[in-house]
Order: sequence, then C-alpha cells, then structure tokens
Amino acid sequence: MTAVAAPPSTTPTPRPSRPSRIGARLIALAITVIVIGAFWSVEIDWSQLVGFPANLVRYLGLMFLPPDLSAVPEAFAATVLSVQMAWFGTVIGIVISLPLSFLATNGIGPVWLRIPLRGFFALIRAVPEVVIAVLILSVTGLTAFTGALAIGIGSIGTLGKWGYEAMEGAEAGPIEAARAAGGSTAQVLRWGLWPTVTPEVLAFWLYRFEINVRASAILGLIGAGGIGKMLADNVQFRIWDSVGTLLIVVIVVTVLIDLASGALRRRIVHGPKR
Amino acid sequence: MTTRPVKPRTAWKAWAVGAVVLAITVWTAIGVETDIGALVRNLGNAVNNLVALTQPDYWFFPNTLPALAQTLQMAVIATAIGAAVGLPLSFLASRVTDPSAPLVAITRSVMNVVRAVPDLLYASILVTIVGVGALSGTIALVLFNVGIVVKLVSEAIDSVDRGPLEAALATGATWVRADRAAVFPQVLPVFASQTLYVLELNVRASTVIGLVGGGGLGILIDQVRTFYRYHQLSLIILEILVAVLVLEAASSWLRRKLVS
Repeated sequence: MTAVAAPPSTTPTPRPSRPSRIGARLIALAITVIVIGAFWSVEIDWSQLVGFPANLVRYLGLMFLPPDLSAVPEAFAATVLSVQMAWFGTVIGIVISLPLSFLATNGIGPVWLRIPLRGFFALIRAVPEVVIAVLILSVTGLTAFTGALAIGIGSIGTLGKWGYEAMEGAEAGPIEAARAAGGSTAQVLRWGLWPTVTPEVLAFWLYRFEINVRASAILGLIGAGGIGKMLADNVQFRIWDSVGTLLIVVIVVTVLIDLASGALRRRIVHGPKR
Repeated sequence: MTTRPVKPRTAWKAWAVGAVVLAITVWTAIGVETDIGALVRNLGNAVNNLVALTQPDYWFFPNTLPALAQTLQMAVIATAIGAAVGLPLSFLASRVTDPSAPLVAITRSVMNVVRAVPDLLYASILVTIVGVGALSGTIALVLFNVGIVVKLVSEAIDSVDRGPLEAALATGATWVRADRAAVFPQVLPVFASQTLYVLELNVRASTVIGLVGGGGLGILIDQVRTFYRYHQLSLIILEILVAVLVLEAASSWLRRKLVS
C-alpha cells in the first residue's frame, strides 16, 4: 500500500476569464447619460428645494394640526360620490369589455376581428385615463356621470386584455368536453370556458375597481365632482385644515376598499380558508 | 345505471351576490345622476368636436416640443430618484432583510398610506407649496414612484432564497453588508425591471400631471382644452400615444435583455 494519492497540483488552474459584458456596460452607460442629461437639461430651479422641507412641514402642520373635523360629513359624501363613479365606471367597462374580450380570444373570434380588437385595447391602455376623460368631458360636459363614462372607457383596455389572456390560458379539457358533447359555440363558451376563468376574471374586475377608485379621485380634480373637486376647491381657497381632513378621508377609504377587495380577491382565487 | 350526482346547492348564493351587485350598481347609477338623454343630446352637438379630434393639427408640433421634452425629463428624473430612494426602503420593508419587526411594520404602513393617494392629488397640493412648474410635478411623481418600487421590490425580497443571507450572517457580517452581498444580487433583475415599469407609468402620469399645474404636456392640454382647440388637442394625444408606445417597446426590449 504505497500508492499515495498525488498531491494536489501546486500550479493553480487558470481562473476562467470574465464573461464579456460589453452589452450590459453600454446599456448602463446609456442609462447614466440619459439620467444625467435629464437632470442637467430640465428647467427646474433646484435651489427651490432648499426651503421645501421646512415649507412641507409648515403646510403639513396647517393641514393636520388639527384637521378640520367639521368637514368630515361633506368629505365623506364627496368620497361616496367618487366611489360611486368608480363602481359605475367599472360596471360600464365590464359590460363593454367582456363580449369584446371573448371576440379577441384565440380560437373564438375570427382573426380579422381579433387583431383590430387587440390593437384597440392597446390603444386605450396607452392613453392615460385623464386624457380619455378630458376628451369625453369636452364632448359631453362635466358631470359625475361623464366621469363614470370616462372611467368605463378607460377600463376597456386593461379589462379586455386581461380577459382574452385569461381565456387563452384556460384549461382545454372542459372546452373539448363541452364540444364533444355537441354543445353549440355559445354553450361551449358558457359551460366549458366561462366556469374555469370566472375566479380570475372576477379577481381582475375587483382589481380594476381598486384602480378606478383612485382614477375617480383624479377625475374630480379636473371637474367631474366628488372628492377630487372638493380637494381642488379647498386647495384653491387655501382652506388647509379641510384639505387635511379630505386627505385623511381619501386615505382611509382607499385603504379600506383595497383591504376589502384584496381579501375578496384572495377568497375568490384560493377559496375560503380551511 | 349510475345515478346523477347531486347538484351542489350553492346556486342561491350566486344569485344573492348577483342581486347585491346589481343593487349597488343601481345605487351608483342614481348617485352619479345617469342621464342618457343629455348624453345623446350633447353627442349631437359634439359631432364637430369629434371630427376635429380625428384631424390633428401637425403644424402645432413645434410648439409642443418644449412641453414634450419636459414631460420626458420629469419622468426620467422621478424614476431615477424614486428608484434610488425606494431601493433601501424596500430592504427596510421586508422581514427577510430587516431584523426589526417594528421597523418593517412602520415602513410598510407609511408606504401603504403614501400609495393610497393618487399622484395627481399630490401634485395639486404640491403646486401650492412649491409653485406651478416641473418641480412640483416631479416631487409628486417621486412620491408615487417610491410607493410602487417599495411594494414591488420588497415583495421580491420576501421570496428570495435565504441561504446566502444566512451564510453571510454566519460569517459575522452586519445586516446591512449581508443584505448588500447576499440579497441585493438576487433582486437586482427584479429591481431593474420594476424600475423600467415605473418609467412607463411615469411617462403616462407626467403627461397629465400638468393639468393641475405640475409641468409638461398637461399644461398644454389644459390650455388647448380651455380654448376648445380640438385639432391641437388631437395632436397632443397623438404625441402621448407615440411616446408611450415607443417607450413600452424599448422597455420590453430591455427587459428581455435583462432576463437572458
């Protein structure tokens, strides 16, 4: 037993050369240049920032120390109107987008309809809701109803896209079964496809409602009524303690709606807690 | 012959939910004072506006360039600051990288509050504090961005592989250094891709933030809207569309590069 394992070689194996990362470096460089360029070229007087923290503290004091609690009932009523706008808008969006998203689904709609529909969804998604609202409001005037209409039309883009994506991701089994049983196209969609996608679809309807609650507050700023309008008015007349109350109401209502809707979505997707 | 399976008795529940949803919808429809008649009448009057909207006034383009540039600058600056501020906060907001439970809770709840306020509401208040212009819009965007970055990145941190972190801590590293060496590289791709996503959101948001005085194309939208110049409004919307679509294409290309 004299055989001894060869001692480990003392000359180290050469280190693997670093992979070339020229592409990554170039992208990083380009991003740096763009960011620095933006800072350098923008017409912002950064010296204004010097007084900003002190100013912010002062205004926060004006708003919240103390907020004007007598404005709560009015703020609450305005928030309810905003939420109504959001809900009704979401329903309008659902009613319009659901049939369209069926038609935009691979294997259901004909190709000459599918492609333009998808383009239409993409187009609406690309335009900010507020711009859609400005367009609609310029045609029909400023009311809460037209605000809801703007929210509804603005929702078609995302709802339509999520809809056809959900339906294309649906299990093929039930659809084949329904078809094999002799179902008509409508019956196949109703009993083979719809039940498998319902949870997902309901979940993103709720999610869109959460987004629309925020959108409706914004639409108020440009005159559609509700909490946004009340905020804009109070800011304009510098009634800061009411602004503080409004912000508190907005935050509380938004967070509560998010929590409720989030819990509901989890329950819809994952089933009741066992 | 097998018997038919018993029909589950949950149908009434679906009907009940449907009835509640319908009731809420009717309530909201009344609340917003739905008036189809007025809509149809106004549509009749508005045909001219609609026609104008399909005919952009291309000669207006040079006048929009400064505002368009400002919109893009605001978007880039806000994204950069938002990402830079949001990254460390995300580490504070995850139980994986932050050993202090109270600190996690505080960071998360502050961020929830920050996220609950829409960007344009921030802008409309900031305009009176720092004045009309790009600065107030940029600050509003930064607030909005920090909220999103922290939410998305801290969720990514929550689900990282903890092995490297435990190894780094076992060597006696401080939490900050262990997070930096063991967690940061894991979330870097997510962070980069979410930053791109934030940039996309910002280009959309910064085009409208001017409606309340925050600078960029929005100010122009407000002007042409007040004077009913629909041909010019149409061009601005076209520009927004092109800017958003180009940016989306660029960002999805970059994201594919990041993943591979």
